[in-house]
Amino acid sequence: MSEKTESKISRRRFISASIGAGILGIVVGAAGAWLLKPEVVAEKTVTTTFTREVTKTVTATAPVTVTTTPVGIDMVAQRAINGVRDLLAKGVAKPGDTIRILHVAGSRANLEKAIELWSEYVPEIKVELITLGQEPDVYTKAMSEAVTKAGTFDAVTIFSTWLGDIVESGLARPIDDFFSKYDPGYTGDIAPIEPLASYTTLYKGKRYALVFDSDVFTLSYRRDLLTDPKLKDQFKSEYGIELKLPDTWEELIKMAEFFTKLNLTAPSGGKVWGAYFYAEPRFAAYITWLNIFIEAGGILFDLKTMDPKIDTSEGRYAFDVMLRLKPYMPPEAVTASWADLYDKFVKGETVFTAAWPSLSKEAHRPTALVKDVAGSAVLPGVEVNIGGVKKVVRAAPNPVNWVAVISNYAKNPELTYLFFQFATSPDIGKDVILTGVILDLFRRCWFTDPKYRPAFEEGYGSEFVDAYMKSLEISFPDLLIRGGPEYLGKLTVNVNAVMAGTKDPEDALSETAADWDSITKKYGVDSQLEAWKALANLFPADVKEAWKAKGYM
Amino acid sequence: MRSKPPKVIVYLANIPLNILLYATLIIPFALMIYLAFLSWNPAAGVDWWQAPFAGLNNFSRALQDSRFLAALGRTTAFVIIVVSIEFVLGLVLAYFMIEEFKGKKISLSLIIYPLMLPWVVVALIFYLFFQDYGPMNNIFLKIILGDAAQNIHWFLSSTTAFISLVIADIWQWTPFIFLIMYSGLSAVSKRLIEAAQVLGASTRTIFWKIQLPLIRPLVLIAVVLRALEAFKVFDIAYVMTGGGPGTSTETLSLYIYRVAIEYHDISYAAALSLIVLVILAIIIRTFIWYSFERGVRT
Repeated sequence: MSEKTESKISRRRFISASIGAGILGIVVGAAGAWLLKPEVVAEKTVTTTFTREVTKTVTATAPVTVTTTPVGIDMVAQRAINGVRDLLAKGVAKPGDTIRILHVAGSRANLEKAIELWSEYVPEIKVELITLGQEPDVYTKAMSEAVTKAGTFDAVTIFSTWLGDIVESGLARPIDDFFSKYDPGYTGDIAPIEPLASYTTLYKGKRYALVFDSDVFTLSYRRDLLTDPKLKDQFKSEYGIELKLPDTWEELIKMAEFFTKLNLTAPSGGKVWGAYFYAEPRFAAYITWLNIFIEAGGILFDLKTMDPKIDTSEGRYAFDVMLRLKPYMPPEAVTASWADLYDKFVKGETVFTAAWPSLSKEAHRPTALVKDVAGSAVLPGVEVNIGGVKKVVRAAPNPVNWVAVISNYAKNPELTYLFFQFATSPDIGKDVILTGVILDLFRRCWFTDPKYRPAFEEGYGSEFVDAYMKSLEISFPDLLIRGGPEYLGKLTVNVNAVMAGTKDPEDALSETAADWDSITKKYGVDSQLEAWKALANLFPADVKEAWKAKGYM
Repeated sequence: MRSKPPKVIVYLANIPLNILLYATLIIPFALMIYLAFLSWNPAAGVDWWQAPFAGLNNFSRALQDSRFLAALGRTTAFVIIVVSIEFVLGLVLAYFMIEEFKGKKISLSLIIYPLMLPWVVVALIFYLFFQDYGPMNNIFLKIILGDAAQNIHWFLSSTTAFISLVIADIWQWTPFIFLIMYSGLSAVSKRLIEAAQVLGASTRTIFWKIQLPLIRPLVLIAVVLRALEAFKVFDIAYVMTGGGPGTSTETLSLYIYRVAIEYHDISYAAALSLIVLVILAIIIRTFIWYSFERGVRT
């Protein structure tokens, strides 16, 4: 009996305690949520601070409102600094405010340089880096932020390939207003080279990003072998054409065959292969295929219906070229990761290869076995019949490409934008680009202006700087529409399978087309078509001319 | 004798654990089930609670998804192969290691060593091991095949790429089976074995009729745990082959990862995960019933 009573009392107490704890929890949770709600906090802080700071400026601190022009830096950077000063004067930003940037580890040195220079001019505004180890981690975190809207960072540097997803998820803030207000130098001689500047930053006609990098492919080659008089004679007698920089993929295949059959020994002691173009399983396989496909006049989607157009003669031709090249490439081209291509070229084990600009940096390092013989050129093209006239169409892929995106959930988007305008300006950007490894040059003045060019020649080699500028001008984008990584992922898997010999090219093309069709339908045909039409307009002129000749455009 | 604490204290003491359990397991799991019936894609700019209801579409899509079905078959084959080999190797090693010999402690440490390494490290080691210029071709196979070993490209063919994954898994996880078998065999009473020997039982008879039946529960636990782990294989496939060539070594986990993270088709990934969970639950439940409960009833 007594036990029963005790039990009843205990239960009652327990229930009371639980309800009490529950109410307390709800009160604490609600209070916490109210206090931490980002929009409300931002709004309140801005309003209050604004009033107080204006009063201060008028009554006591005149220097705060004066915007002194920073000395020794270009106008783009100056406008950014002056913009920050104005924000401080108006109280929209406060000394001690911190900009938080999510980025990949590879760009840390670049960003640290930008922060170091920034702190010389505006030490009041701190910049904090949130560094992630791998590229896919950045995408995952960015998409998580789009879902949680927690405001864990103010800006993120992303692959431009993700732009469609990042915009459609609501994470990216449009920055056309900041462009008009602060002019980041996207016109004239200092502008980033077109069409890259447009296709990496615009989505459905609106600006969402600042160019922070360029990733256009160039052809790298062993100059010593290509200019050797004996080899030139031998090649001419065997193939009937000159041994020189190849204008077309057809010429390159012959040269690759020639060099592979010579069985030369590389400076590393390994075998010299004629070529090495990406066909690897993780993500790079699509790059080679896409380049040949686009040069052949292929278009990824119908501009009226959004139907995939890869299961076409251009798609088959791209596979044909890759398969004919395969015997002259090391097997690792199909199996290894992307870095293996770098390793083999730097050791002198391949004659022709293509990669990002960092390959040229690597090839010119003192430890590189090809540092004195590595050359750079525009990628070979494909002969296309345009209006009855045969023309070699040349294009260059721009896979990935880092751009800076301002978060819609940033505490102070304008201030964050100004940091990136500063970091990508001609003077500051030059130092930022040359400091690290993964970011590369994109402003025209860096190629042409004697004030900047020597520094880049020293870093990349003069031949590369010339070849790269031409490549930028004929560059074409990744598939920067919603689901871009998914479309390209499906293509990569199938290109790799064909190159490994586990799938027939016809099957690969039809399966990829079917997958692409499903992806398009998943996101909605109309929305995807709008994005694709906007993007297709930003392809290089020669490619669009080929599309018109084939009735695609 | 100490009195029992009041029940209210017991209840209160359980609250943190319950909160932890709900927050970390039950709520996310319920959320996953819920998501599997939606059509939610974070890139669509719609919050998950606003995503349209998809009914059973994700599940019917999975049943028609040849890549998923292929990954399921491949992963099942992988589990059967690696668990069988690891079990035999682990048992044989354990059998020989129960005998006392000089250097036994060092040998034990060496056998267990692979188990201490993180999965991704093992994957990287074997990725390099199977490269054309790696030790597999240049040392081991060169002895047998000579220069022809250079022509073996492990990651270029579906079969050899799959075999390389199997070898990596066996290298890392045989010690796990070994540890369990070793502890089981060590616990078998020596008096039983000696009695059998006195009665004239052969070594083979002692093993099959005495030692193995006595460690049967441990065998089942080892096999179930290992099969569960092997079914989730991700790291070695991701690092060593990337699921390639093509998708020929893509495992279930790798495919679901791609669907969720690369294609951010979260609802479909949730549905695939649920299907895998149900399959595993059925297999494990059947296995437990067959191994333990059936015997008890009879």
